[in-house]
Amino acid sequence: MIYESQKIALNYFIVAALLFGLQIVFGLILGAKYVWDFDPLLNILPFNTARAIHINLLVVWLLFGFMGGTYYIVPEEAQTEIYSKKLANFQLILFALIGVTAIAGYILGWSWGMPFLEQPTILKFGIVIVALIFLYNIFMTMMKTRKWTVIQGVLLGGLVMLAGMFLFGVFFMKNLATQYFWWWWVIHLWVEGAWELITGAIMAFMLMKITGVDRAMVEKWLYVEIGLVLFTGIVGTGHHYYWIGTPNYWLWWGGFFSALEPLPILFMVIDTLRSVRERKAEITNRVALNWAVGCAVMHFFGAGVWGFAHTLPQINQWTHGTQITASHGHFAFFGAYAMLNLTLIYFVMPQIKGLTNFKQSLGIKSFWFMCSFMALMALSLAVAGIVQTYFQRILGMDYLTTQEYMKLWYAVFWVSAWGFAAGVVMFLLDFFRLAKGKA
Amino acid sequence: MTLSQGKAIFIWGTAISAVIFLVLTYDSLVQMPKRTQEAKLDAHVAAGKWTWQKHNCNDCHTILGIGGYYAPDVTKVMSSRDNAWVTRFLKDPEKVWPNPRKMPNIHLQDQEVADLVAFLTWVNGIDTNGWPPKPMVATAVTSLSSGEEVYKAQGCSACHTIAGVGGKVGPDLSKVGGKRDKVWIKTQIKDPKSHNPQSIMPSFPKLSSKDIDSLANYLAGLR
Ligand code: HEC
Ligand code: HEC
Ligand code: HEM
Ligand SMILES: [Fe+2]
Repeated sequence: MIYESQKIALNYFIVAALLFGLQIVFGLILGAKYVWDFDPLLNILPFNTARAIHINLLVVWLLFGFMGGTYYIVPEEAQTEIYSKKLANFQLILFALIGVTAIAGYILGWSWGMPFLEQPTILKFGIVIVALIFLYNIFMTMMKTRKWTVIQGVLLGGLVMLAGMFLFGVFFMKNLATQYFWWWWVIHLWVEGAWELITGAIMAFMLMKITGVDRAMVEKWLYVEIGLVLFTGIVGTGHHYYWIGTPNYWLWWGGFFSALEPLPILFMVIDTLRSVRERKAEITNRVALNWAVGCAVMHFFGAGVWGFAHTLPQINQWTHGTQITASHGHFAFFGAYAMLNLTLIYFVMPQIKGLTNFKQSLGIKSFWFMCSFMALMALSLAVAGIVQTYFQRILGMDYLTTQEYMKLWYAVFWVSAWGFAAGVVMFLLDFFRLAKGKA
Repeated sequence: MTLSQGKAIFIWGTAISAVIFLVLTYDSLVQMPKRTQEAKLDAHVAAGKWTWQKHNCNDCHTILGIGGYYAPDVTKVMSSRDNAWVTRFLKDPEKVWPNPRKMPNIHLQDQEVADLVAFLTWVNGIDTNGWPPKPMVATAVTSLSSGEEVYKAQGCSACHTIAGVGGKVGPDLSKVGGKRDKVWIKTQIKDPKSHNPQSIMPSFPKLSSKDIDSLANYLAGLR
């Protein structure tokens, strides 16, 4: 850390960590509703409300992490202090307030009702304002020195794309099919577009700093990776346009392009491993290294392999909208984006706190807990999904009867989720110890 | 590979994909009004869509295969249920179709229910390229959806009792086979009003003939 304003990241990470913990609480509640039919919360916190909160918290804590990371990285790339610290703090508070309002609103039954985009329209406008303040602050910082490094260019590009895509999810349309058509411009072009750019840039920055490999090398591969991400991912949106009232040529276009999506993710794995092998600096922050390498691998399995498994229309026709999708959603979001943020937090925190040497055992333990139990969660939902696909879709058994046959796997999932939660608790303890500046 | 070659991959990769995507998007938007029968999308349907969103039904149910995986997909629900059934169900799910996993009573207004039915009916007409697909193994289905399972799945037990289990709105069916034959029972399922014009039993005309057959077999066998 070189610039004072990089410390802005700290508060962002604190909020992110707290929301992450809360997300898992709601996850455990949702899991219980699958395992036991009797639901004491049926009229207080029904499944839909809990799910809205669970997935909103996910997206919001990841965004807080991305923002904190950006405030940390941009000063070093642009070689100057952040344009306005006040704006950065104001933006944090505004976003947190909107978040709290949204969640309170869901509990009281105030919803816009599209998955991930349940925020009522006024709040969405608030979110747009937050995004504008953030982008303005970052852009003005970059304009102070105009050092257009590839890393910061890609980071900015990803952030602008992230904010821009959100606009396609703000407006109500009478036609459900058209609404979902645009909805995927938000959801898919986020996770398989904008967020990959942001992840690529942040990961490139961290690898460069952790391993000491050349910038030229890192930036060249960054270009190739995001080039392939967008080449495959943009038309790849078509893997969501098979069955929603859209023309059937998407089966060809979506199937072909999305089948190539694992390629750039594989490149990222190779890139990460090569940087570590050819490192020029001694790696002291082993927790961050663990998360970085783990992230590359889990990103590949969760998004690349699990995504590929059901992306071809011949398969997706049977698995669409089953627990197979849920298995992939958990695995990919965790492997790619939760892990990226955890890497970032472990990379940044010791530097902000000036800890050259800190105790790493709990951090590493939480890493193994989260990764292995998430793998178990993804596997148990995958088995549940295979049972569902076979009984319900291939044999034609009705939905609710099929669910009975999946109970065992929901139970395995839920028990694994407790293991995962234990890892999160360890992380939180470790994180707040670091945040207090204790080595 | 050099930095500028990397940059070229990025620029061309993005541009080519974006152009293809935008062209296909344009064409899709041209075709979708017809594929989704937009001509039938009236004010009720639009109001129903908003009702669907306002109550966040989508975070329990999938529709077009998207959403929560906790409850049945409702894309084609109007192919297997009729208006009267869905209307009654939405007013009080537990009474019409009691299941171990519950849908809460959302206390919908009559107008909201009517709009939702209009909405689901319109969604049912969307051309989804054949999704959800017809089950692959037709023979296995017969053995799996026995009459007893159809009885359970259709929620007959909300009103009827068999062997002491079920509701009291309709007559006990434990020995119905001794009183009614199979043909009579089939008619009762398809059109209760043909036997009793004041019948409050919902009709199930959209059940497949196979399901009606096995259901009637099952009931006729109860003596
Ligand atoms: C808390 C979760 C939840 C919410 C919210 C919910 N449902 Fe349901 N719904 C269920 C479950 C579970 C079933 C399965 C049947 C049962 O509960 O008896 C169901 C069944 C149905 C069915 C019958 C499906 C079939 O296959 O016959 C329809 C139609 C339906 N719901 C519509 C709605 C609508 C419309 C809304 C919003 C106003 C809604 N649901 C909100 C959980 C939910
Ligand atoms: C909303 C309540 C309700 C539901 C749901 C219902 N029924 Fe009925 N059913 C009745 C009532 C009331 C009668 C008495 C005759 C009449 O009014 O039609 C009846 C009569 C019958 C009879 C004739 C019994 C006799 O002894 O004459 C049969 C057979 C029957 N129902 C089968 C079914 C089946 C099969 C289902 C499920 C597919 C079903 N019912 C669902 C209310 C219901
Ligand atoms: C890190 C990146 C990714 C994340 C975070 C992610 C997340 C998700 C989520 C949450 C869903 C469910 C959306 C919903 O219906 O509500 C989904 C669906 C899907 N994803 Fe991904 N995904 C990623 C990458 C990929 C990749 C690379 C592929 C293909 C190679 C892929 C293929 C699919 C497919 C086919 C579906 C639709 C499933 C269905 O039909 O129900 N995903 N993804
Ligand atoms: Fe996708």
